[in-house]
Amino acid sequence: MRVCLLLFLTIWTVLVTTECPTLSAEKEGRQATMKKLLPLGVEDYRADKKDEFYNRDQSFRYMDGAAELYRAYAFKLLMVRKYVKRGHPSILVEFFDMGNSEDAFGIFSYQTEDEEVGVGQGSDYGGGLLRFWRGKYFANVYAEQDTPSMRNDVLKIGHVISEKVKRKGQKPSLIRFLPSEGLSERSIRYFHLHQVLNHHYFISHQNILHLGERTNGILATYPQQQTKEKNFLLLLQYPSKKLAETAFQSFVKAYMPDAIDSRAIKTENGKWASMKIYQQYLLIVFDASSEEKAGELIKATLRGLEGK
Amino acid sequence: MTKRKTITRRDFLRGTVYTALGGTLGSTLGKEAKGEEKVKVVLIRDENAIDSRGQIDQRIIQKMLDQGVCEFLGEKNPVQAWEKLIKPSDVVGIKSNVWHYLPTPEGLENAIVKRVIDAGVPKKNIGIDDRGVLNNPIFKSSTALINVRPLRTHHWSGIGGCIKNYVMFVSVPWLYHSEACSPLGSIWNKPIVKGKTRLNILSLIRTQFYNRGAHHFDRRFVSEYKGLLIGNDPVALDAVGSRLLQLQRIAHFGEDRPLDNPPIHIFVADEKYKLGVSNLRRIEIVKLGWTEGTLL
Repeated sequence: MRVCLLLFLTIWTVLVTTECPTLSAEKEGRQATMKKLLPLGVEDYRADKKDEFYNRDQSFRYMDGAAELYRAYAFKLLMVRKYVKRGHPSILVEFFDMGNSEDAFGIFSYQTEDEEVGVGQGSDYGGGLLRFWRGKYFANVYAEQDTPSMRNDVLKIGHVISEKVKRKGQKPSLIRFLPSEGLSERSIRYFHLHQVLNHHYFISHQNILHLGERTNGILATYPQQQTKEKNFLLLLQYPSKKLAETAFQSFVKAYMPDAIDSRAIKTENGKWASMKIYQQYLLIVFDASSEEKAGELIKATLRGLEGK
Repeated sequence: MTKRKTITRRDFLRGTVYTALGGTLGSTLGKEAKGEEKVKVVLIRDENAIDSRGQIDQRIIQKMLDQGVCEFLGEKNPVQAWEKLIKPSDVVGIKSNVWHYLPTPEGLENAIVKRVIDAGVPKKNIGIDDRGVLNNPIFKSSTALINVRPLRTHHWSGIGGCIKNYVMFVSVPWLYHSEACSPLGSIWNKPIVKGKTRLNILSLIRTQFYNRGAHHFDRRFVSEYKGLLIGNDPVALDAVGSRLLQLQRIAHFGEDRPLDNPPIHIFVADEKYKLGVSNLRRIEIVKLGWTEGTLL
C-alpha cells in the first residue's frame, strides 16, 4: 500500500512539475498572449523584466492557500509583473486568465466592497488595491502604499491593461433571470463551490446543496429601503434535473426539516426562508420579512426562468 | 467517533452552533466548566511593543516573552524557565512563518533564539525555518521544536494559527485542504514533529482579523494588538485566537462577519486527533500587561 502511494506521488509530482507537451504548448500560448496584453511601461513606470507565471497546480507556490479561491473557478494561468519607478513604491500586477468570462466575473464578484472606478467591465478600488475584470481576464493591481498619487498610478496601469483586452466578455447567463426590481447589482456573486457561497452567506460548513465545479450559482441581494434589511436570493443551476432534485432533498433535510410540506419556514431570526425547484434550477430566498415577500421573489425569478 | 452534526446557519441563529461544535470557538468564555481540568494559556500585552514609526521594539518583545514564559511555567527567572523547556543537548527547530504580508516578527524570533542559547544549546544546533523545514538538517534531526507564528484569518482554514503552522512538515500541503483543512491536526502525529513541541507562541503583535485582497490581505483589517499568547497546547491557543479575531471583527464592523470557512480544524484537532483542548470553557487565560482593548 505504502509502495503504491509513493509510486502515485512520484508520478503525480513528475506530471505536475514537468507537464506533458500538449499542456506545455497550451501554457506557452497563454503566456505569449498575456505578455502582449500587459504593457512594458506606463508613463514613468517600467516592467522589471522578472515576469512570473503560475498555472493551477503551481499557484500555491505563489500565494499559498489563497490559491484555493482562484482554483474554485476555471483559473488557467497567472502572470505576475512588477512595475518600478525611481523614488516610488513599486506596483504589482497579477493578471489571471480565468478560462472564460463568466469565471472572470465570478472571481471579481467575490469582493466588491469598495469604489467602482470605471476600469474594465467592472472594478473595485480600496486600500491600494484595484480589482477589475474584462473578457476572460481578471486583474489585481496593487500598490504598497495607498496615497492619492499611487491611486492615480494604479488606475492608469489598470486602464491601459483593460484597453489592451479587446474582446469583452459575457456575464453568467443566470444573472438575466434575476428580478431587476430592488436588485443591488454590485452585490451579485457568482460561484461554483459551497466554500465561496459561505464567504458571502454562510449556510453550512458541509456541502448540503451539493455544489461542485459543474454547478453555477448566483447570490443576489435585495436591500429593503425602509427597513434596511436585506433579502437574499440564491439561484443555482445543476447539470441535470436529477442532480437538482438530490440537492433539493439534501437541503430540506439539513436546513429546513420542519418545512417539508410548505417549503417555507420562519427561521430563528424571525425572517423567512423559502425554496423552489424548477427543472435543473433551485431557487432559495433567505431573510425575507414575510412568507409572502419570500414567495414574491421566488415567483418573479420563476417567471424569468419560464420565459427563457 | 460519533458522527458530527451538520452545522447550518440556523444553528448560529439559535446560538447552538457552539454546542454542536462541542462547545468550542464560541462566546462561552465566561462560563465555568465544572469538574474539568483547565488548560493554561498566558496572554501578555505591551502598548509599546510597536513604536510610533510602526517598528516592533525588540527590547519590549524580549521582555514580553520573558514575562509570559515565566508566568506560564511558574518561574521568576526567564533562563530558568527556558531550562525547563530545553536541554543543552537538544537540537532546536524554531518553526516560524514567512508569509510576506504578516510574517513572524524577526524580533520575536531573535528573542526565542536568545533564550534557547541561554538554556545551553549551541547556536549551531538552533535553526529557524518555515517553507524549508523538510530539507533543513536542523529540523530533520531536531529533538525539540518551538512553534511561533502570527494570528490571522485564512481563506480556506478559517484562521492561521499554531496548528496550521506545521503544514510545511508535509510535502503536499494542499492534500490537507479538504473540509476547511480539518485534517491539519493529523500532521502533528507525523514522526518529524510528534512529541517534540516544547512551546507554542501565537504572535498577536499584529493580527489580521478579516480577509480581503489579492492574497486575502488588506492592511485596513490588521490590528495592532501588541500581544503574545503563550502555552503548550496549540489547540487551546488557536481556540482563543479564533475567538479574538471574531471579537476584533465585531469591534471593527459593528457586527460579526463570518469567516470564509469556520475554523473546523481546531475542533477536529481536539476531537479526532486529541491534540489539545478547544473548549473555551476549559481554557484559563492568564492576562498580563496592557489591558486596553483586550476584548477577551
